[in-house]
Amino acid sequence: MIPVEKSKARANPTKAFFVRMITRDITLEDCIFDLIDNSVDGAWERAGGRPMSLNNDTDLSAYKISIEIDQNRFLIKDNCGGISLDDAVNYAFTFGRRDDADTENFSIGVYGIGMKRAVFKLGSSIDITSTYVGDDGLSSFKVPVNVSDWLEAGNSSWDFDIDEADDLDEPGVCIEVQDLSEATAQSFASPRFVQDLRRAIARDYALHLHRGLVIDVQGKPIKGWSIEMRQGGDFSPMRESFKEKIDGEDVFIELLAGMEALPPDDSDPEGDWDENQNQSGWYVVCNGRIVLAADKTSLTGWGTDNWPQWHPQYSGFMGIIIFSSRRADLLPLTTTKRSVDATSPLYRRYRSHMREPSKTWIAYTNARKQSEREQVAEKESKTKAVPIFEVSARSEVVLPQVSAKKRTPEANVSYSVPKPKLLRLATALGNIRMTYKDVGLKSFEYAYDDLVGEE
Amino acid sequence: MASFDSVNYSIRPSKSVQRGIVFDGLRALCASMNLHDTVYIGFGSIWFTDFLMAHKVLGIDEMISIEASPVGYKRAEFNKVYRSISVLEGRSDERLPEIAAQVEYQARPWIVWLDYDGALDEQKVEEMRWLLLNAPPNSIVLFTFSATQNAYGARPAQRPGRVSDILGAVVPDDLTREDCSKENLPQTLATLTMDFLSSVVADNARPGGFIRSFQIPYFDSVGMVTVGGVLPGLGAAPAARAIVAEQSWKGIVDEMIEAPPMTLKEVATLQAELPFAGELTRDRVQELGFDLLEHQIRSFQRYYKYLPSFAEIVA
Repeated sequence: MIPVEKSKARANPTKAFFVRMITRDITLEDCIFDLIDNSVDGAWERAGGRPMSLNNDTDLSAYKISIEIDQNRFLIKDNCGGISLDDAVNYAFTFGRRDDADTENFSIGVYGIGMKRAVFKLGSSIDITSTYVGDDGLSSFKVPVNVSDWLEAGNSSWDFDIDEADDLDEPGVCIEVQDLSEATAQSFASPRFVQDLRRAIARDYALHLHRGLVIDVQGKPIKGWSIEMRQGGDFSPMRESFKEKIDGEDVFIELLAGMEALPPDDSDPEGDWDENQNQSGWYVVCNGRIVLAADKTSLTGWGTDNWPQWHPQYSGFMGIIIFSSRRADLLPLTTTKRSVDATSPLYRRYRSHMREPSKTWIAYTNARKQSEREQVAEKESKTKAVPIFEVSARSEVVLPQVSAKKRTPEANVSYSVPKPKLLRLATALGNIRMTYKDVGLKSFEYAYDDLVGEE
Repeated sequence: MASFDSVNYSIRPSKSVQRGIVFDGLRALCASMNLHDTVYIGFGSIWFTDFLMAHKVLGIDEMISIEASPVGYKRAEFNKVYRSISVLEGRSDERLPEIAAQVEYQARPWIVWLDYDGALDEQKVEEMRWLLLNAPPNSIVLFTFSATQNAYGARPAQRPGRVSDILGAVVPDDLTREDCSKENLPQTLATLTMDFLSSVVADNARPGGFIRSFQIPYFDSVGMVTVGGVLPGLGAAPAARAIVAEQSWKGIVDEMIEAPPMTLKEVATLQAELPFAGELTRDRVQELGFDLLEHQIRSFQRYYKYLPSFAEIVA
């Protein structure tokens, strides 16, 4: 017989879980992105636009997000409208989205955890200030959070105090975090971290930056990555749109795929080939934010279901699938917004659409490998890069037919030399950055001309 | 070409200024961090100029010079200026790990100055990385390399990419040819190499971190760069940070040092005008009877205390 007082197993959350545990599942960079996402959502809401059909021409140039980072402090400030006092009291600081919260149109924030998790990860002395346009003009408040005090107060009260605050320059939010965690302070001391952050923002917010949104880091605005595909001659990328109804809500899907760069001459590049540097692969976009970039894994189909694993030979291919909905919870994004939820039925359905352009490209690169190099080069030289916004609707990728070459037996030469010597030879050949392969070919041609002469 | 085959680099004027700034800084750091039993490691060549200063200015007895060439090694052994200098034959990337493996050197601070002859390249960067991660707590590391533009690509368009190849992700994607021009490359490389050093330490969570202390671009017929900093133990970090943050700290140089070679008569004439709170002008120099370029006058005024006086003795 179970005593009455032991008939319930306690299942209450603890503050420490939110401060110390869920912060481990997210990178510092993604925390900063969570804060940027909130600002971006505010900008779109104010602009009245609808992210994110590529054809949408909403102007976001009035909105600016500024980030300052140093070893002692993190600051993000925007002019994207701010949080109203009512929203702060009822929604913005709850852990997890409340059931009665309004759906924010086409937002990227969905789980109601991003801002809290981000600031807890960053440090332990937090000031969140908001200035917004209320019924009586500008109003402001501040939510100061001292994490140690909040933890010490125990699990009976989870609320944060709301204080009076001076107005910010414009309606918006300013989040300042001090007493940075040791790991955060170390990362912020790394100029490489800051450069990589700039690169990641340029890529993952490219669609917003394209519409004029300004994001600056350390006072320097970031230029968005210009996402382009090559077309012309016998090459045309595909672009197709779909619409789904889920829970009575529309979900828009746009699929683009084609050639983003000329493929490598060598089907098996080695040495100075850096796979991480190339932009090829699949991109998944949810409500305007790139959540998965240049993916070459099974998450986007490579190596699954009669779809070969990624190989450097396939470099040059780019596919983009864009999901948009008024309700972000219908989209296949994870809580960290750094990947896709591979179990999402919506995503699984559309992954099959991603297969065809991938396979078309694979077939082209296989044929290309067997073809006359000059023939292929001539066809590929007729393409030019165009922004993805200018790609015309077409249901399949168009690629040229290339014929197999008359084969002269070939010999592959492979050898290793000390890298400093190779760099010196590349320098002597006129380009210190010449690829290893070209240094080898030019050396061969030089020796051939010298020792063999005319064919 | 090894420096002992070219010129006694102790008599290059900008080099003298650079060395003066470095040893002033090292003296202040050693005092504030209360460093004892320090080991000095460098490339003494056959002149041992920095070793002389390490002994005289910093009071360091135990010093290790690394010499790659067999002839250089023999000559270094012959020319070494103190009996407490050990000369090791071999490449520094092989000898440094051997030094680190010896128990007697593991718990003592090192002052390491790798004064390279050539341009920055992947090998040197790898050696920097090794040193940053393996030098004992409270060590101070310095690196000098050439910033002559042709060593980073024969054509201007190649240089930003080459700098990026060498230093990796710390190099901004929008680094321009202009940033890598003859005039700007020393400062560009100085800043980016410092970023690289800071990043290696931060990314690998070395306790105590890295304190950027020396960033000195200078010009002695070719552009050169010296960068370096402190790898403090946790206890000494606040004192080291405080001294480098002081207004009087000279180790971070914002304008290329280009001390002109001058005759004794010119030096004496100009020196008689100093110290002077205002800026010495070119007009004034011309009034004194000779001429120098504006930036040379600025360098002289800022650094005249570090400049050597040279005279040729005809015997």
